[in-house]
Amino acid sequence: MEKELLYHFVFITLLILLSFMLLVCLIRAVKGPRVADRLMAVNMMGTMVMVMISILALMLKEGYLMDICLIYAMISFLSVVVFSKVYIGIYEERKNMEGENPDERS
Amino acid sequence: MNAVEWIRFIVGSILLVIGMVILFTEVFGVFHFKYVLNRMHAAAMGDTLGIGSCLIGLMIFSGLNFTTLKMFFVIVFLWFASPVSSHVLSRLEAATNEELNTQCEIYKDVKILERELAAKREEENSREKEDRLS
Repeated sequence: MEKELLYHFVFITLLILLSFMLLVCLIRAVKGPRVADRLMAVNMMGTMVMVMISILALMLKEGYLMDICLIYAMISFLSVVVFSKVYIGIYEERKNMEGENPDERS
Repeated sequence: MNAVEWIRFIVGSILLVIGMVILFTEVFGVFHFKYVLNRMHAAAMGDTLGIGSCLIGLMIFSGLNFTTLKMFFVIVFLWFASPVSSHVLSRLEAATNEELNTQCEIYKDVKILERELAAKREEENSREKEDRLS
């Protein structure tokens, strides 16, 4: 019984600290002056959420939560790659449009 | 709780605390630096070392089972994924920022940089020779 309480205390403390850091990362994602800043902050938030999920997997004794953690890692990696590729495409298209008809700048 | 369980608890807690300190350093560094390419340096640290030591601490807590194996897979996947995502992000920054030369030095051609470095090396060599002669 004593052992359970000790582990529970450690896990709860870590979860509280991690959720505070997650909020600070969110501030960076909102403030970030450039697009790369926001994407980097989202990547950091993904890392912290992965730690939180694996702590919960041990705390609730549900092993299948680690599968969710693996899939979360893959999706967060994929989102960063896809978003940066898409943004490069949008930027170049916008530049070409401006070069073609400079009068219709909005 | 017997002695082995105490040792497991203490070692795992120490690794978790190290991981949390590294994650905190990551968040601090992201607010400390002024430009994205500098911030990325701090942010890439937590992706591999921070989550790595946190998950190794949790692996020691959980013992030998499939959960441990899956945690190991997460660490290995992040070792491969984190450098790739940093590279893609810095390419995004270099492609879309038109005033990049106000933040760092840019060489239009690699040969100019090579020539500068060769000139610097020759200068140092000649200085060493003079020192040896005198």
